[in-house]
Amino acid sequence: MKGIMKGLGFTFKNMTRKKITYAYPDVPLIMPDRFRGIQHFDPEKCIVCNACARVCPTDCITLTGKANPDPEKKGKVIDTYDINFEICILCDLCTEVCPTEAIVMTNNFELATYSRDELFKNLNWLNDNNQHIRQENNSAMPKGGAKKDAE
Amino acid sequence: MENLLNEQLSWWNFGVFSFWAVVLLVIVLGYVTYAIYFERKILGWMQLRHGPTRTGPLGLLQTVADVTKLLIKEDTIPRKAEQTLFKLAPIIMFIPSFVVLATIPYTSSWFFADLNVGMLYYAALSGISTIGVVLGGWASNNKYALLGGMRSAAQMISYEVPHVISVTGVIMVSGSLNMRTIVAAQEGAFWHWNFLPQIVGFIVFIIAAVSELNRTPFDLPEAESELVAGYHVEYSGFRFAFYMLGEYVYTFAIACLTTVLFLGGWHAPLPFLDFIPGIIWYLLKFTLVVFFLIWLRGTLPRVRIDQLMSLGWKVLLPLSLVNVIITAVVIELTK
Repeated sequence: MKGIMKGLGFTFKNMTRKKITYAYPDVPLIMPDRFRGIQHFDPEKCIVCNACARVCPTDCITLTGKANPDPEKKGKVIDTYDINFEICILCDLCTEVCPTEAIVMTNNFELATYSRDELFKNLNWLNDNNQHIRQENNSAMPKGGAKKDAE
Repeated sequence: MENLLNEQLSWWNFGVFSFWAVVLLVIVLGYVTYAIYFERKILGWMQLRHGPTRTGPLGLLQTVADVTKLLIKEDTIPRKAEQTLFKLAPIIMFIPSFVVLATIPYTSSWFFADLNVGMLYYAALSGISTIGVVLGGWASNNKYALLGGMRSAAQMISYEVPHVISVTGVIMVSGSLNMRTIVAAQEGAFWHWNFLPQIVGFIVFIIAAVSELNRTPFDLPEAESELVAGYHVEYSGFRFAFYMLGEYVYTFAIACLTTVLFLGGWHAPLPFLDFIPGIIWYLLKFTLVVFFLIWLRGTLPRVRIDQLMSLGWKVLLPLSLVNVIITAVVIELTK
């Protein structure tokens, strides 16, 4: 009986406490830094080693390279780079194996679209996707602390 | 209303009765809508969340949206279910809940039927809803529904007994089954109200009422998390809406009954507060009872079926009988 009374008092007091509901989507949801969202691609760093395409567990990365236009330099440059976002599982393996950190994760997860066409992310989109890039575990960031992104 | 009831039945009287009956039904439907809304809101606040906030301003149109959804859903009836009984069960369940509203007085001049056996009328009719529940469980051709229906029958029958016996003490003190007489006998300050002299009866009544309503902590027949929604698992759309409607109208009836029998109806707690109209006091007490029901739902865990049966037969029934005996002794001694 005493337990019931104490319980009733507790739930009654709970009515006056602050609510713990998140106000998303009225208020943006800040994700931790290492949250795995859609990738950001920097074509200048890519050396077309194909490591990301090979390690991808769902084979969602397709890329083609072309010979370096500058006749002095060896190696290839990236020509097209596509991530099929319908099957990408955001596992982060491609960013782990990339030797030059050309591909890194961001925190962007609000990617719902009305048509499947827009889920096929190409090089331009991935390059433009430069908000909320992951700061830690990312040697592509400048040394000596990460700069805050403009957002 | 008293004058109209005593006159000959003419077309004019019939018109007035029908008009006020429709007004009451609209009020009850409005009550059900906002009782569901406030139940969700208050349960949310007790659980540190907001409750409905998106549909309409402050989420006020949430129940309207829910009821609209239920009404436009497809009416699925399992092929092997007993068709006639399946369709009949919700109807049997919710009609008595509306019918018992006829005897409840709201103020000294606002009442519908001044039955001299008002309390007996309520007790008799509320038992009919049990048949609806059992039929629903049986006709669904589903073992979980059957189990839920059987449990519900056991629960509702076992708690009808202490429910009605606990009221007997009130009836003995007031000298009549007529609800208006019972309220009139509670005139004066709040220590004249029946909940203090009949405290044991009051407690038994409240516990039995919560069980009659199939609400937590006694909501085994529904058992949303245990019995896969119990007896109304096969019901969808408007049939399910009828079951829910019946339940919430019963909370209206029980809250009105508690107010009338134990909390002094439309009387003010202290005589000098008489200037506030009786209906306001009635509404305040009614709201308090409904809030208490919701509060219990937000606080207590569900009891097991065997704990429930032992509570009903081994605790509440003896208590209510003891209450009747003590009331009789005291009435004799103070005559």
